[in-house]
Amino acid sequence: MFDSLFTLAISFSGFNPLLWVYVIIGGILIGAGVHFIPVGGAPAAMSQATGVGTGTTMLAAASGLTGLIGAGSAYALHPGDFAFTIVLGGVSAALMISVLAFIANVMYVYGAGVPLASAKIKYDPITRWRQDLYVSRGTEGHGSPMVSFISGIIGAFLAGMGGALVYFGLVETYKAIPGFSATFGTYPAPYYVSLAAAFAIGIFFLNCVMASYNIGGTIEGFHDPKFKRIPRSIVASLFVSLVGGLFALLIAVMLPGGI
Amino acid sequence: MAEGERSPRQLLAIGVVGALIGIYLANYLNSWTSTAWFSFFAGLGAVLAVFWGADAVRRVASYGLGTGVPSIGMLSIGAGQVAVLLGLAAAKYYGVEYVAPIFALILAAIIGIVNGVMARRVIRMNIAIMERSMTEIAMAASLIILGFSTVIAGSFTFDKILSYVVASGFIIAVFIVGGMAMLHPFNACLGPDERQKRTLNLALSTGFIAMLVSGIAAGAINGVQAAVPTLIIAIFGWIIYYLRFFGDTKEDAAALLSTGLLPSEEEVA
Repeated sequence: MFDSLFTLAISFSGFNPLLWVYVIIGGILIGAGVHFIPVGGAPAAMSQATGVGTGTTMLAAASGLTGLIGAGSAYALHPGDFAFTIVLGGVSAALMISVLAFIANVMYVYGAGVPLASAKIKYDPITRWRQDLYVSRGTEGHGSPMVSFISGIIGAFLAGMGGALVYFGLVETYKAIPGFSATFGTYPAPYYVSLAAAFAIGIFFLNCVMASYNIGGTIEGFHDPKFKRIPRSIVASLFVSLVGGLFALLIAVMLPGGI
Repeated sequence: MAEGERSPRQLLAIGVVGALIGIYLANYLNSWTSTAWFSFFAGLGAVLAVFWGADAVRRVASYGLGTGVPSIGMLSIGAGQVAVLLGLAAAKYYGVEYVAPIFALILAAIIGIVNGVMARRVIRMNIAIMERSMTEIAMAASLIILGFSTVIAGSFTFDKILSYVVASGFIIAVFIVGGMAMLHPFNACLGPDERQKRTLNLALSTGFIAMLVSGIAAGAINGVQAAVPTLIIAIFGWIIYYLRFFGDTKEDAAALLSTGLLPSEEEVA
């Protein structure tokens, strides 16, 4: 065992530090992106707070996994195309969150009968529309007004880009392992795609939940005072994805001869 | 800790020892007999890990996470998944595949500690048992993923898990269902009248549902041999523990505890 430890130390082949950096930056982007997304949580589900009415875990899973599917499809179409993978991952996640926030808004307005308003600001910074007059007494706002909506799209784009970066770093690493181009039965996706997707989901959840602990559950967007806590989340994401990314990339080092 | 509850240490022992025994039994009985009849042992082990993980979730989430109980379950199952796959690969690299579950457990503990330290020291969540709980839940999550993966693949070698569980896509089912099994019990039972026995009976019931799902997946890989015993045990376990949970709920619901009226201003002063 000790001689193999020694060989591990001297032959760190298959481990590309640049790809590790991609995973870490991806993790930080995921953590930062969550701060932009209007997470309303349980109060918003009863239209008593601004944002989409569900928790970070669900919102991040919805937009993050869509981003991952986008990134995966982009990578399958143009293997190794960095910009295409990253941008398509971001766009897919942004598309998902805009559909989610829009449908939720339709339900708030036509179903619950509440106007879209934020209680944290007097004027919407984008439309300059008055907010405080439309907030029902005893609530923290309703639905996703323009500023939260735009903020959500920015956040999902960042988080989707982050997820795609993680996926890109992992898939590039695993593609080089001998035997990983095999497929399971008649499935079109080779082993390295499945393994990278599984790890990307794990690292995605690690970072987005850390960020959601930082915002304490709910946030309205970049105009929310809680947005100023973002540096702490960046530090936490840095360390979490440092360890998670190292573990994920070490697989390549552990399998020099493939499977 | 209230009267008649299981202590965290006792549950840790049940979870770790039970899950490891189950996973090893499944792997070695399957390989000695060259069949897949014994895969269900790993499922039983994973159910014990769910039992332990649900109690760890219960302990930390009763402080109030601010983001809902599911968050810590999904965080830890993500950590567990990364740990399991690296643990299996590391065991293969060192040529000691029989210690793969121990490797996975140690790696999960490392990620769990990092998560706990980040959550408590950097994000400054005011929960005293954060590090310990994150570590325990990540370890339980790694055993859950490894247990259900062993049910599906029939063995815990890296090659088999990679092709039968990861490449076939069943890993996502194991990920979500295993996480749900662990986080759902406390999420459903939380509140001032929450009681460990009721929550843990629900945990066993959700654990058996997760075993049911892995049994169906095992049928696609190893056929009838793996699926039939797993499904029969899972269905019976689910029914038994769901009825127990239902009984506990009725028992607890009948009790009415008066907290008294709010003290008046003069009494407080």
